[in-house]
Amino acid sequence: MSINKISGCIGCGECVKACPTDVIRLNSKGKAEITYPADCQICHLCRMYCPVDAISITPEKAIPVVVSWG
Amino acid sequence: MSKEFSRRQFLNLSGATLGAAAIASMGMNSGWAHNNKTLPVGDTSVADYSTDVLVIGGGMAGLFAAVKAHDAGAKTLIVSKGRLGSSGQTPFAKGIFSFDAKEAGMSIDEFVNKVSYSAIGTNNPVYTRQVAEHSKARVEELREWGFFDSAIYNKSFMRPINERNIELIERVTITHLVKENDRITGAAGFSIDESKAYFFSAKSVILCTGAGGFKPNGFPINDLTHDGTIMAYNIGAKVTGKEWNDGHPGRSTNPAACYDGWGNMFEQKPSTTSVGIRHDLGMEANVMAYANGNPSQMRPGMNNKSSYSSLKAPYRPEGLQEEQRQSPPPGGDGRDDKRRPPRDGQGPGSDGQRPPQQKAKGKGKGDNGGPPGMGGSIVGGSSAGMAIHKSEGLVPINDKCESNIPGLYAAGDALGSYMAGAIYTQIGSSLAGSAVQGAIAGKAAADYATGQKGSKISSAKKQEIESEIFAPLKREAGYSPAWVTQTLQGIMIPNFVLYVKKESLMKAALAYIEELRDHHMPMLRAADMHELRLAHETRHMIISAEMKLRASLMRKESRCSHYRIDYPDLDNENWEAWINIYKGANGDMQLEKQPFNS
Repeated sequence: MSINKISGCIGCGECVKACPTDVIRLNSKGKAEITYPADCQICHLCRMYCPVDAISITPEKAIPVVVSWG
Repeated sequence: MSKEFSRRQFLNLSGATLGAAAIASMGMNSGWAHNNKTLPVGDTSVADYSTDVLVIGGGMAGLFAAVKAHDAGAKTLIVSKGRLGSSGQTPFAKGIFSFDAKEAGMSIDEFVNKVSYSAIGTNNPVYTRQVAEHSKARVEELREWGFFDSAIYNKSFMRPINERNIELIERVTITHLVKENDRITGAAGFSIDESKAYFFSAKSVILCTGAGGFKPNGFPINDLTHDGTIMAYNIGAKVTGKEWNDGHPGRSTNPAACYDGWGNMFEQKPSTTSVGIRHDLGMEANVMAYANGNPSQMRPGMNNKSSYSSLKAPYRPEGLQEEQRQSPPPGGDGRDDKRRPPRDGQGPGSDGQRPPQQKAKGKGKGDNGGPPGMGGSIVGGSSAGMAIHKSEGLVPINDKCESNIPGLYAAGDALGSYMAGAIYTQIGSSLAGSAVQGAIAGKAAADYATGQKGSKISSAKKQEIESEIFAPLKREAGYSPAWVTQTLQGIMIPNFVLYVKKESLMKAALAYIEELRDHHMPMLRAADMHELRLAHETRHMIISAEMKLRASLMRKESRCSHYRIDYPDLDNENWEAWINIYKGANGDMQLEKQPFNS
């Protein structure tokens, strides 16, 4: 996972707007939901913009990682 | 009943689809990119806007372009695919260069000469001079807006926009520039929140769209896919600098975790940097890893001939030796020690920045770390597909950030200004350069607009563009953008293709990329508006990959951040020249040389 959990969301939508890669959307209940996890670049902007520290993030990418050399 | 509904109904009944959707909703990794089968997009609609100056992009360049265009009297509108100050590389750039002759103890002429020396002639001194002349004034404006008071930039960026009542449209992805009667008449794109096409009629347009990469792992540029460059190329603009590379390695543990790779830098407030000329983050670490394998031998004092085995070391100008820049670590030399003692204050949007640290999420202590490899093993290609800041993008025809298309301007990483050359030469100058160029382009585009009559995008043109924008949504079957992107990454990232270049491998990669261009690109299919954005981004990455390979094949020498194993030497006789790329009359990609400083 990348964005691991959203807990205690107040539905302000800050994380939705802050995400550069459109990973998070508000669901039908008006709460933030991890909608496109494969596109998370693990930059933590959503967490930094969240006013209530509702977002926790882990460092693993949701899809396989390609590197130039390993 | 519409065809679309019946298709959706059918697909929704498919058991396999339900299974895939369930897996996707749980965020589980099945190891490959799904071709999603739900199509929640209904009828599409259209929104129309009209302005004097259209600014595309909401980073540092876009901010200043909009403010200065407005202040020059033009009706101005900004459109951004993300949020102002929270998309592209701007949110992660923490160091901004501020030139002060007294403090620097050198004149602007001396500064420009030193940059040109480090850049081995690849820089454009007109733009190098510009950043020195104007950086301090832009930094002072940012200070007034509160930029230096927070680690997140949206609030300080919104201040001058709100004060001026400049219209701002966010979460709209621009896919097309419109040229009619040989001049720019606007741009078009779509919203990711509703199935709506957006048309902007404008007298002049400023691309502040940043540069891009191949959605690489470890660099926060996954929303940057050279959109502006490719849109402009499509209407006849000249593009430069596609052979240069940013050489950042990443961490071997969780290489995709940008935040962790950069320590806690993303949470730092920005700070200013002063003069410190370098020759950083070219191909050396990559060439050493190629020669010796991993773990890389890159550490202080190891940058000598023996580090490269039988390979020739990339040329490094005398007096700018590796040892010199490694104590303090990269990114550390230029910091303002009085202001920010514990940190170097650099980020991925700055140049000459500190490479990722092995240590995850440090809290100040020990964060100053070392160069690549000092904290443990590293991997390559962290910023794959990106060049040195401001070395790639639209070719400027003058010192006003103007392109060869009348009315089309570019600023920041979207402009191939060669401000710092084809290697990182001055820390923090990239963010400063974006501010400086944005301001210059804003004023110039406003002046241009003053002499123009407003012209609406014709309805025939609109129809044609709307159909192109939504084409991936309308396809019954095709390839998912995620899968095509994975395929492209598999061609362009591994095997040192862009880092230790050789003709045979680049030709092989080009054959694959041509296949993506001719076969996969026309079959890109989007399941929803999010995927529609990915589809257009994937198109742009494919064309950019072709440009990178063709330019790299053409430059038969090694210089700055371009290293050819088959041509490892500088060739000043033939290659004191930039490579420009443009679309030929038959639609093929054409390349030409432009002598340095011409």
